[in-house]
Amino acid sequence: MRVSVDLDRCEAHGVCTGIAPDVFELDDDDVLHVLLPEPPEEWRAQVADAALRCPKQAITVTDEQ
Amino acid sequence: MSVHEISLEEINPTDPTFWTRPLEERQAAFATLRRERPIAFFEEPAIDGTPVGPGYYALTRYDDVVEVSRNPEIYCSGLGSTSVTDMPPEAAEFFGSFITMDDPRHARLRGIVSRRFTPKQLSKVMDDVTHIADEVIDDMCEKGETDFVADIAAPFPLLIICDMMGIPRSEYRTVLDATNKILGGGDPEFVGDDPIAEILGAGMTLVQLVNELAEHKRKRPGDDLTTALINAEVDDDVLTPQELGSFFILLAVAGNDTTRTALSHGMHYLTENPDQRKVWQDDLDGVTASAVEEIVRYAAPVVYMRRTLTRDSVLSGHELRAGEKVVMFYGSASRDEAVFEDPDRFDVRRNPNNHVGFGGPGPHFCLGAHLARRELSVMFRRLFERLPDIEAVGDPVLLDPMSIPLVTGVKRLPVTFTPTKAKAKA
Repeated sequence: MRVSVDLDRCEAHGVCTGIAPDVFELDDDDVLHVLLPEPPEEWRAQVADAALRCPKQAITVTDEQ
Repeated sequence: MSVHEISLEEINPTDPTFWTRPLEERQAAFATLRRERPIAFFEEPAIDGTPVGPGYYALTRYDDVVEVSRNPEIYCSGLGSTSVTDMPPEAAEFFGSFITMDDPRHARLRGIVSRRFTPKQLSKVMDDVTHIADEVIDDMCEKGETDFVADIAAPFPLLIICDMMGIPRSEYRTVLDATNKILGGGDPEFVGDDPIAEILGAGMTLVQLVNELAEHKRKRPGDDLTTALINAEVDDDVLTPQELGSFFILLAVAGNDTTRTALSHGMHYLTENPDQRKVWQDDLDGVTASAVEEIVRYAAPVVYMRRTLTRDSVLSGHELRAGEKVVMFYGSASRDEAVFEDPDRFDVRRNPNNHVGFGGPGPHFCLGAHLARRELSVMFRRLFERLPDIEAVGDPVLLDPMSIPLVTGVKRLPVTFTPTKAKAKA
């Protein structure tokens, strides 16, 4: 699983950082960082939920090898 | 209180009188639609001088609203308009900013200002927001009774958005009057006998204002949104005067009426639910964030947004054709019993509360959500601290719209409180 964020869309609503704080982090300038671009499989549910609920739909989760 | 039930066949959101019914009746009607006819077809309103459109599907369930919001390639904003009726070209000139566009152009225009609306950026104006809240309360706190809309809910967001945009205070009245006309839904109190002409006139007034302001800001740039707009380049071009005008109108109007409406409804709900008010007032630090979300869910200040099908598609088993219109009723979706427990209960500690009061997830999610949350948090906190017994003493007077209003506006809300001395002014 690979996680990426479209920073042109992100408006720092902080929904993902609430759902999966080990994967997403907002810095002091409200810029989002993906701490773990390839998170462990057991976090799939949280990461998928974060992507689904992102107000700006800025998170993409892919499965390609 | 007994609620008059509107039968399924009688429900018609296009009928303006539907929107002046008590909130409980409207919510009961939407509950009926969610249960019986969640994707219901309605005729469009007849607006003077324009041909009546083909009608629209009212989306009342949460899942459908979210699905449509998430798929802008199918359900777009750039065909016709995001209002139920298509916007005539002369109106699109004033009211057709990025809210009625699709990506990539929507994203480029929105991007000019979006970084100004993030929490950290706004925390820099936190002092200003608190200061303006106190200033507004100072002007009414010795009266003991007043109209909450005129003295609190209208001036507070207006002062903040005008400050952010760099509009001098001498022009506040002009902006207030213009936004009342534009989002007044045709209420005769704001627009008189010729609503279309007056609404266009209000747009013209704001365009004139921004052009004068732009001239001034070119000579003396400031740290404000108007300066950001005139210096912005989109696709290697500066904004045309028309783009500048409609952008400015969108910010001024959207930044005003929505928060005014949420503040007014919030005051009303707190009066009607003294137990919930006590929960909040007893724990301002712990409850304010969830209470503000609940006000937005419950009040649903923005009634709807429309999308238009770019191609044939299927929504919850319902076949839709290219060119057809779907209208997302946010207040209904945010009370969908499939998602929200006891949805008609006003619960200041509601959790989870994934309402769609700021729109569903997607490119058009409310740009001002962070600002609105901050405004509501600060104002209710300051009211609880300075006028702890303030309460509504009558029902809110709602807008008297021509058709489906975009905002569930409140015109007046009488309140009483124990008078207190205004803070010594510096």
